Amino acid sequence: MFARIIFVSALFAASSSAQWFDIKVAGTPRLPDGRPNLSAPVPRDSKGKPILDGVWQMNGKYLQNLAADMKPEDVPYQPWAKQLFDARQNGALGKTDPAARCIPGMPKLDALPYPFKIIQSPGMTMMLFEGFTTFRQIFTDGRELPKDPNPTWFGYSVGKWEGDDWVVNTIGIKESTWMDNAGRPHSDALHLIERFQRHDFGHMDILLTIDDPKAYTKPWTVKEDLRLIPDTELLEYVCVENEKDYGHLVGK
Amino acid sequence: MSVNKITAGLILVAGMVSAQWVNYPSAGIPRTKDGKPNLSGPAPRTKDGKPDLTGIWDVLHNRPCPPGGCDDMFIPQEFLNIGWSLKGGLPYQPWAAAIVKQRMSENRVTDPNAHCLPTGIVRMYTTPLYRKIVQTPGLVVILYEREAMYRQIFTDGRPLPEDPQPSWVGYSTGKWEGDTLVIQSSGFRDGIWLDSNGSPLTESGKITERIRRVNFGTLEIELTVNDPKAYTSPWTVKLTQLLKADTDLLDYYCVENEKDGPHLVAK
Repeated sequence: MFARIIFVSALFAASSSAQWFDIKVAGTPRLPDGRPNLSAPVPRDSKGKPILDGVWQMNGKYLQNLAADMKPEDVPYQPWAKQLFDARQNGALGKTDPAARCIPGMPKLDALPYPFKIIQSPGMTMMLFEGFTTFRQIFTDGRELPKDPNPTWFGYSVGKWEGDDWVVNTIGIKESTWMDNAGRPHSDALHLIERFQRHDFGHMDILLTIDDPKAYTKPWTVKEDLRLIPDTELLEYVCVENEKDYGHLVGK
Repeated sequence: MSVNKITAGLILVAGMVSAQWVNYPSAGIPRTKDGKPNLSGPAPRTKDGKPDLTGIWDVLHNRPCPPGGCDDMFIPQEFLNIGWSLKGGLPYQPWAAAIVKQRMSENRVTDPNAHCLPTGIVRMYTTPLYRKIVQTPGLVVILYEREAMYRQIFTDGRPLPEDPQPSWVGYSTGKWEGDTLVIQSSGFRDGIWLDSNGSPLTESGKITERIRRVNFGTLEIELTVNDPKAYTSPWTVKLTQLLKADTDLLDYYCVENEKDGPHLVAK
């Protein structure tokens, strides 16, 4: 069933293993034989804060199942959310997942099996995604979250440092997106808190908290692990290109 | 020829453009006494003394409104015909002239733009949706409202690859010549349109952009297309972009609720 949901992604699986070519990315610590040293310490900026820049790839299991590391009964669904999640389990509603029509959403975008690149610039950090060739902007200029943002597919995000954790708060995410391919729903009240924790040069976790009182009785948190992909670049992935599957999707 | 038909996908979200995010004041913008952005001041500079191209940019509104009033979005001349300012028009090779004629006679139904495909880097400048340039050390990124896409321009001194994987945005490297950022791009896929008339770009095409921020509020882009398969000689046009202060990009997905594709018909 998952295969059917991510059919579009599967078409492009080959491109992931054929990333551009060997680019020697500047600032990468290296072993004596020239290979990247992925267990070297976290790079830091002039203020001592971790630098998160790099091409990263998330453990693929969270795309399929955001609660992969939880007991199923520990996900604190509201009754309607459990009902909708169960209804999506037989795959019959896969057609209603906007991602099946080439529209990704958050938090699924971060969990795609394609690399993404973090670029910190003054006042705003960009995340450029190979999957869907799209981006997130996370404002770090001290602005507050807007009170009632125009709902968008990725929401409105602001980030700030708490010690060595980079904490990103996001609201204003369109209601229709699925949080994972298993079909976990959310409401228009979804508030995501991502805590980026870089452990060494090659490894980072995102502690993702789903705070959505309309859909879940209490906030719940998952730990997503990422690895740095050294010496490469993003490729272009255009979901709509030669897309012929949607017309053949069956179900409600 | 109705422009509305050409931009079928765009028109769907026309309402959004006039309701950009919130009026969040952009940092670092010089202002007049009444708080309005002063766009005629000098271009800002980065720490290394180079002009900073960072900002949100709009097309130049250089096309008179048609009878019946303007569309919600200003479609510039270059959107329709990238060579409109050239005496005698674009120097098409015979097959290219023929295919442009055919594309226009077919109501442009095969325009990638009308099928929610990427438009490539030239039309990204001429599409009436905003773009944001973010200049960082070693890399310039352009974020596009259209399809929430992006483009990377490597300014870390790397050469263009010899045989890049063909793509819609190609592969771009940039370097400074005085106060001008000179961007070289190649590695385009076949089938890219440079304008709504269907002027082609082939996979052997090379594009040079020379970008200057002439004052705080204005970018001038000298765009040269060198594609001997499609054009008898290289040609150069000038594109002007205007800063949009105190706003930000919205997300615009052409495929969202897209229902026009099956109804597009040729004459």
